[in-house]
Amino acid sequence: MNLLLLLPALLMIGLVFVWPMIRYGWLSFHANSVLTGLNPVPNGGANWIRLLDDQRFWQDALQTTRFAGVSVGLELLLALAIALLLDQRWRGRGVVRALALLPWALPTTMMALGWRWIFNTPYGPLERLNEFVGLGPLNLLSTPMWTWLVTVVADVWKTTPFIALLLLAGLQTIPKDLYSAFRLEGGRPIQALRCITLPLLMPYVLIALLFRGAQAFGVFDLIQVLTGGGPAGSTESVALYAYLNAMRFLDFGYSATAMLAGFLLLTSAMLILAMLLRLSGLMKPVQP
Amino acid sequence: MLHLNGLGKRFGEQWILRDLNMQVDEGECVALLGTSGCGKSTALRLIAGLDRQDEGSIELDGEPLDSIPAERRRIAMVFQSYALFPHLSVRENLNLGLKIRGVSPAQRQQRIETVLDTVRLREMADRRPQQLSGGQRQRVALARALLRDPRVYLLDEPMSNLDAQLRDDLRPELRQLILQGTQPVLYVTHDQQEAMALANRIAVLKDGRIEQIGTPEELYKTPASQFVASFIGRPQINLLPVDKQLTIGIRPEDVGFDPEGMPCRLISREWQGASQLLLLDSPRGALRMLCAGDLSLSEPLHVSWLTSAEHRFDAGSGHRLAE
Ligand SMILES: Nc1ncnc2c1ncn2[C@@H]1O[C@H](COP(=O)(O)OP(=O)(O)OP(=O)(O)O)[C@@H](O)[C@H]1O
Ligand SMILES: [Mg+2]
Repeated sequence: MNLLLLLPALLMIGLVFVWPMIRYGWLSFHANSVLTGLNPVPNGGANWIRLLDDQRFWQDALQTTRFAGVSVGLELLLALAIALLLDQRWRGRGVVRALALLPWALPTTMMALGWRWIFNTPYGPLERLNEFVGLGPLNLLSTPMWTWLVTVVADVWKTTPFIALLLLAGLQTIPKDLYSAFRLEGGRPIQALRCITLPLLMPYVLIALLFRGAQAFGVFDLIQVLTGGGPAGSTESVALYAYLNAMRFLDFGYSATAMLAGFLLLTSAMLILAMLLRLSGLMKPVQP
Repeated sequence: MLHLNGLGKRFGEQWILRDLNMQVDEGECVALLGTSGCGKSTALRLIAGLDRQDEGSIELDGEPLDSIPAERRRIAMVFQSYALFPHLSVRENLNLGLKIRGVSPAQRQQRIETVLDTVRLREMADRRPQQLSGGQRQRVALARALLRDPRVYLLDEPMSNLDAQLRDDLRPELRQLILQGTQPVLYVTHDQQEAMALANRIAVLKDGRIEQIGTPEELYKTPASQFVASFIGRPQINLLPVDKQLTIGIRPEDVGFDPEGMPCRLISREWQGASQLLLLDSPRGALRMLCAGDLSLSEPLHVSWLTSAEHRFDAGSGHRLAE
């Protein structure tokens, strides 16, 4: 009976998630490229063996992890500050709340184009400003280090509002009486942050971490539009690499392998993280 | 001794509390009694320093509190919601405040163990608040207040989340734990029975002002207005309009059978064991009457009351008229 009620949801998940994954798995054990006339031909584990040895894939995996880690870390810190600010009562808070969400509402491609233009050499506004300083052309989008930073800045700019909103929702579940009680116990407001706010907000922080971590690891559109993976592949992500394999090199079998490998890396990282969190006791269910 | 001088608070243009004057002596318990939304919690928050009053002042033992922040007033409050920290165990809940106030670990431990025994929660010490029953949570809140070693206790409807049975059970406990201390106690409730049972004096609040303040007996015997009269005493007083100027109040327990009295029709009866409450249709309107539980009734009923038992109110303002 219970299973019957779940059936529509299960069907839906099966259709959009499980089935494609199975297809990927199947495809990853086939050669399916221009060489086979785009027909799937079983090739044993050749794709996987190739992947293990593929410098470019592992380089991309490293780059993507670094990108995701730094972006999400920065986003969490910034979002926490913003959420704490928006949770206070002050005039004009409603307007600022609405404004703060704007970057998130903007389509990623438009946003990425915007950033690309800002950092364009020699026509972008940043270079124009730089002319007054007189340091010579910055060439931000042709230096690997700077380009990487630009992708992080763009991602932080876009998704911090989302996390802030999530944390704000979490903050608002904390009963105000707790803060009153804490003050009467002799605690100053700054101590309440550590003793009440942060522990009670922790489940929301972890949810944000998992959501955004997974999302950032799968980053595609931002990189594709902003840098195209360059310069010299220094900002290429796993998803972009898989995409290139399929759409540029027309090697669907290997593309599926790279995609699936990325997915497996991500899920195992998440599982390990979740286990560590459980062990550390931070994830204890708290219902105020 | 807690002294409130003309305390007032407004939100925007609207005054929630106005002209609150009151004194609570050492060891005295004053109940703040009033309907929902009349400003009871607001009054406590002002005293605790959690909100700032818009007029008037608060003094404790002759010293003005107004410029002292809440965290340094040394006032304990039991919240309507108990406000226990959900992420901490009972023991940690009690420990937090002591730690913040710089009590040494050894002393903390000893005081917590003592208070856990006092409120009989030793077995529950490692549970989280959501694993406790309502009554147990309330005792944790009381224990936390006791550990504060406060100069004043403020209790905001500490019983309102409990069922009737538990309230009766906990009343003696509350009296023993808190009301026997030497500190002034302000006890907020909307339950007149609770106020009568626990408080030395009762302040009846209406629309943010004190309607009357006095001992339970004074409020029962000489209510200053129709509002107080119908708030204090159960079953509720009968209010019988006489003319445009005068309304008579007569308590159901003061109405008696009398062959010479008004003839009445019995509409309904509530049997309460030792007594029964009759609802009568009298020539002067609907009338509640209390009589012995074992009385058998035969219509027509004739009832009357002593003129001396009547309360006389101004029909317009509702104020009590001079005898
Ligand atoms: N922050 C606030 N802003 C505006 N109005 C408020 C605020 N806090 C309380 N009020 C109003 O003040 C009035 C008194 O509130 P208060 O909480 O003191 O009532 P109460 O007597 O404790 O009621 P209850 O018995 O339901 O707890 C209410 O009408 C409430 O709407
Ligand atoms: Mg209240």
